[in-house]
Amino acid sequence: MPRGLVGLVGANGAGKTTLFRLLLGLARPTEGTVEVCGHQVTADPIGARSRLGYMPEHDCLPLDQTAADVVSTLGEISGLPARAARQRASEVLDLVGLDEARFRPVGGFSTGMRQRVKLAQSLVADPELALLDEPTAGLDPTGREEMLALVARLATFGISVLLATHLLDDVARVCDHVVMLDGGRLVVAGPTETLLHQTGKFTVEVNAGIGRLTRALTERGLTVVAAGEAPLDGEAGGAIDVVVGADPEPVLDTIRDTLADLGLPLQRLTSRAASLDEAFMGGEL
Amino acid sequence: MARGAVYDRGYRPYDGPRGGRRAAVLALWKASVRRAIGLRRTWRQKVLPFGLLAVVCIPAAVNVGIGYATRNSPLEGFSFFTYREYVGVSSSLLLFVAVCSPDVICPDRRQRVLPVIFARPLTGSDYVLAKLGAIGSIVFAFSFLPQVLLFVGQTLVSKEGSLAYVRDNAEILWQVPVAVAVLAVYYAALSLAIASLTPRRVVAGAAIFGVTIISSIVAVILEEADALSGRGTLFNVLALPLEVRDLIFLGHIHQDSDLAGVAGGGALALVTYLVVLGLSLGVLFWRYRWAEA
Repeated sequence: MPRGLVGLVGANGAGKTTLFRLLLGLARPTEGTVEVCGHQVTADPIGARSRLGYMPEHDCLPLDQTAADVVSTLGEISGLPARAARQRASEVLDLVGLDEARFRPVGGFSTGMRQRVKLAQSLVADPELALLDEPTAGLDPTGREEMLALVARLATFGISVLLATHLLDDVARVCDHVVMLDGGRLVVAGPTETLLHQTGKFTVEVNAGIGRLTRALTERGLTVVAAGEAPLDGEAGGAIDVVVGADPEPVLDTIRDTLADLGLPLQRLTSRAASLDEAFMGGEL
Repeated sequence: MARGAVYDRGYRPYDGPRGGRRAAVLALWKASVRRAIGLRRTWRQKVLPFGLLAVVCIPAAVNVGIGYATRNSPLEGFSFFTYREYVGVSSSLLLFVAVCSPDVICPDRRQRVLPVIFARPLTGSDYVLAKLGAIGSIVFAFSFLPQVLLFVGQTLVSKEGSLAYVRDNAEILWQVPVAVAVLAVYYAALSLAIASLTPRRVVAGAAIFGVTIISSIVAVILEEADALSGRGTLFNVLALPLEVRDLIFLGHIHQDSDLAGVAGGGALALVTYLVVLGLSLGVLFWRYRWAEA
């Protein structure tokens, strides 16, 4: 996987958490090898873990300790000297927005605050790669926005992120690359932008005469397919997808001229952008 | 009206020193010791450990006080108990381990902290060693401090002089720490092994008491029935380390022990002690084997 923000997408049971366990050396692969930050995990799990930060999906915090104690203790267990761990704990709690609350017991925190503490403990030892398992789980819309903004900032600090989620929107918004899993198998992987936009189609929507437009475009040598449920014949309005070749300019000219010749009212002419859902459901790219 | 300002101090990468597994174990040991004796916790969590420490120190203070008061009287040299017997007083620390061992190990499992601990550079064995070391070192300290108090006090009030007292009791200087270590390792391993079987502190504490009490009852029943010709006491997990203590101080089983009439009773006690210790360690390492590297 490349450096930066990588989304790991899959439904429940797809294998996201299992992949994290493999990366942390807490499970062994049945075949193949796992390499993390230059360390073969099977041969050197301790070396691999020393480069990783891990934020589990579930609750994982001692409720009767303060956020500062939790994060600094986990920093020390990561190998930081005691004083450095306390200072780093203070800095990362500040970074995640818990500067004033850090001396309060975690048990009194809201879900959003606990998620921030979980993120802070994963960052306290300045990892090369942070494994974040569903960081927006249980958050309200505002909390989700703030958490995604925090995650997006991590790449600017030189920390790569593997963000596991079943929320494709989260990945589409913050990740540079996407890896999709289903039933433990790779469905699709690539740059988010590519998955979102390289469909090779234009969508044309008219208010009337969809049948005439389809026939005319076909006669002029273009490949037309239905966009959604609407039929390709009749005089009603509707939308069609027109397949574009390597050079979209002549296709756009043909569509424009055909619409003008037929005098049809154009409602929309856009590059057809696939959603990550479509990519995931179809495994089409 | 006060004006506030928000400063984004950004993020500073850490480029200082990093320890490995040893540092991780030491950090976990420190955190567990702090938790067990209530440091950085409310005063209520400090009452039991420091209250118990005070209680086990009282006999030493009384003994030294009597020694001082009677040093020029016919009762001079009178002592309530010997150093060997005083090690036995430390078995009251079973109450301490029954509360503290579950407290340092059960919440990690119940509150699901283990995954974030084992995402760091340490293994399941390291975790066990850190927890064992924490409880063991506290029990050792709480058992050893009263002995130091007793020894220093007796040295100071001795009529023959401090140097003479130390010379006459030189063997105490190795017997006490070894006997106390025997107790500390045993209590720590046994209590942590039992506590590791459940995520609930209360259940673990009750189980620790239950195992020791039931084993004592079984041993008494076997002795009363004379079923094993004096070997029934080997089933008493509470008395076992005290038999080993006697071996350290006396070189043989104490005459009051049920094992006194048994051929090879000392060796039997030592082997049984090691078996219980080994089983306890086995259970502990087995419970955390999933986090082995």
